[in-house]
Amino acid sequence: MTSGSAPAPGLLLIEDDEDLSASLADALAAHGYRVRTAATGQDGLVAWEAARPDLVLLDLGLPDLDGTAVIRRIRRDAITPILILSARHLEADRIRALDLGADDYVTKPFGVGELMARIRALLRRSAGPAASGEGRIEVGPLVLDVPSHQVTLDGRPVELTPREFEVLKVLMTHAGRLVTHGRLLRAVWGTAYSDEPHYGHVYVSQIRRKLAAVDPTGAARGLIVAEPGVGYRVRAPGD
Amino acid sequence: MDLASVPLRRLSISAAAVVVALALATGLVAALESIVLVPNASAAYLLAVIGLAVARGTWAAAVGAIGSFLAYNFLFVHPVRTFDVVDPGEWLNLLLLLVVGLVVGRLAGLQRDRAAVAELQAREAGGLFRVSRLLATNDSRDALPMIVAVLRDETRMGRVWIGLTGGTPLESVVADTGIGVDRPDSTRHQLLRRTAGEAPAEWVGMHAPVGPRRTIRDPAMSAHRVVIEAGGRSLGSIWSLRPRALGHPTREETRLLAGAADQIGQALERDRLRAEATGLEVARQSDALKSALLDTVSHDLRTPLATIRAAAGALTGVAGESAGSALAGPAAVIDRQAQYLDRLVTNLLDLSRAEAGSLRPDLQPISLDDAVADTVDRLQPVLRDRALSTDIPAALPPVLVDEVHLAAIVTNLLENAIAHTAAGSPIVVRGALSDDDRSVRLVVEDGGPGVPDEALGRLFEKFYRVTTGGGPARGSGIGLAVVRSLAEAGGGRVAARRSGLGGLAIEVEFPVASAALETG
Repeated sequence: MTSGSAPAPGLLLIEDDEDLSASLADALAAHGYRVRTAATGQDGLVAWEAARPDLVLLDLGLPDLDGTAVIRRIRRDAITPILILSARHLEADRIRALDLGADDYVTKPFGVGELMARIRALLRRSAGPAASGEGRIEVGPLVLDVPSHQVTLDGRPVELTPREFEVLKVLMTHAGRLVTHGRLLRAVWGTAYSDEPHYGHVYVSQIRRKLAAVDPTGAARGLIVAEPGVGYRVRAPGD
Repeated sequence: MDLASVPLRRLSISAAAVVVALALATGLVAALESIVLVPNASAAYLLAVIGLAVARGTWAAAVGAIGSFLAYNFLFVHPVRTFDVVDPGEWLNLLLLLVVGLVVGRLAGLQRDRAAVAELQAREAGGLFRVSRLLATNDSRDALPMIVAVLRDETRMGRVWIGLTGGTPLESVVADTGIGVDRPDSTRHQLLRRTAGEAPAEWVGMHAPVGPRRTIRDPAMSAHRVVIEAGGRSLGSIWSLRPRALGHPTREETRLLAGAADQIGQALERDRLRAEATGLEVARQSDALKSALLDTVSHDLRTPLATIRAAAGALTGVAGESAGSALAGPAAVIDRQAQYLDRLVTNLLDLSRAEAGSLRPDLQPISLDDAVADTVDRLQPVLRDRALSTDIPAALPPVLVDEVHLAAIVTNLLENAIAHTAAGSPIVVRGALSDDDRSVRLVVEDGGPGVPDEALGRLFEKFYRVTTGGGPARGSGIGLAVVRSLAEAGGGRVAARRSGLGGLAIEVEFPVASAALETG
């Protein structure tokens, strides 16, 4: 897990349930991460200021602060990836957290394997060159060239309409992170459409078909993953 | 006819009054002219005319004025005991007596009539006020017994009662000023026929077997009925028995009865709406309570599961560090079982929400092929040794469904197929448009042992499990119940049949999203 020279990535786990926090810290440490834990939002923010971790794991149901307050505070001066640990029934809170700048989520009870995959994807995106949305965006075999409005999959051109191109651009710019329906709609159609998730469904469905049409292996199908009721994620290769 | 006797009696009283008044006035004139020696005392007759006008009305006064004219002429104008008049001055006196008598009588009579109408209207207004006050300050059912008493007194009825239909064709008595339940089989009654606009309402004779009826054996009584309506629906009637001697209710009495019927109708409607609103509020609060309870249970069950899975993950991680550790196997079992418990909790909660009526599907047009592909992708770890094939044409129209519910439906169908088939056994997922193009059918079938035909109809029942070949029943018995609940909440349908593959085929139909969306 850890490479010889580079220091192990530092994670901050903000979770109030003691047993869960301890078990998770063990699991993360076993996978080679340096882990700091905090049981309240206040302690979490203090730890974040002190350690400036590479990624924050945040439980939304904290005893003192609303989890979204923690996200706002962190986002004020850093783009540190934030992964939400969410209770399943608090779907609205989860979407709000993502819209406020959290990057992805897992629902309790999540598997450690799933959690590690998300952490790896987020760390990879934040370590690599930031996708500016202006030049060339590459996610595995998929390449999107913004100036020429060209999309290729394994070098084969994919014909997209201008809207489809915009949708794919937004998803690929945030590769490895979850883009909520609302965020996608606002980015492509503007705020007036943020309550019309079916626009997103229709366009993403078209894009997936066009990708599948030029991909004889069928592997392209899994590039865009739907999180039912929440949004879409472009899967970085190796996840 | 009975009613004819009423004016006749009033006429004879008036005639007697005229005779008495004229006799008294004649006596007074005679006394004044012979004893006090007043030269012309004919003005005394005007007293009689005014008296008649006040006591008996305009017509009695007019007859009295003419009678005075004749009597004075006959008894006091020279030559007496004849109607001849010698002195032209006496003619003038007599004509003055006649004209003044008629005018004074008319004026006094009009005044009397106006006073009578004003009193009737005051009674009508007072009655209506009391009715509306009773309805405003009481529940309408409690007000009705007091209202019938008011109506009986103010409209000169012998007995008043109210019958309400309460949704049935027959009325039942809810308030009655009389006692006894003697009911004849049919009744002739006067029904108030009301008209829209300014036209006055009228009473029409009806011969209809409508209930409830009180005895009308007393021939001196007639029955009257005013229908109580609200929002175009008949809610019941105000019934009354009236002495025939009084004739039909007067205009003011009729208006009071009609006004009371309207107010009662409005009050009953108001009560009904209030009861409905209260019922909705109770149901809403009960739903909110159930949802809160389910959320708490959900949280309390899942937090320990999250810890168990994290601990299992920690064990696996440790095991990974030292290859061949005896921990890896047990850790994987713990994780799998915790996952199974989580699915069970999720299904139980979905089922409880469906039964509590708190599933609120967020219906969106969704492509079935995408949704199925995503779910299959997520289930890869458990599908590893099954021969799964999917055949869902991309050209199928999108279906109208809740995205989260659809994922749960497909997950449950696949898990059910996995649970009942052996490794290597085929599982096929198909999608097809229905014959009428209005729905898309998703079919999940397997090559497992299937279920006996008699079990097909019960597969979607809660906690129903099929035991086959003496082996233990597998599965929790709620997966397919959840499939049905979620599908039906979104307007879909489910069915089970034998599969051509040898096992079971479950079909779920979703409505096609008709809204055409342009792309590009």
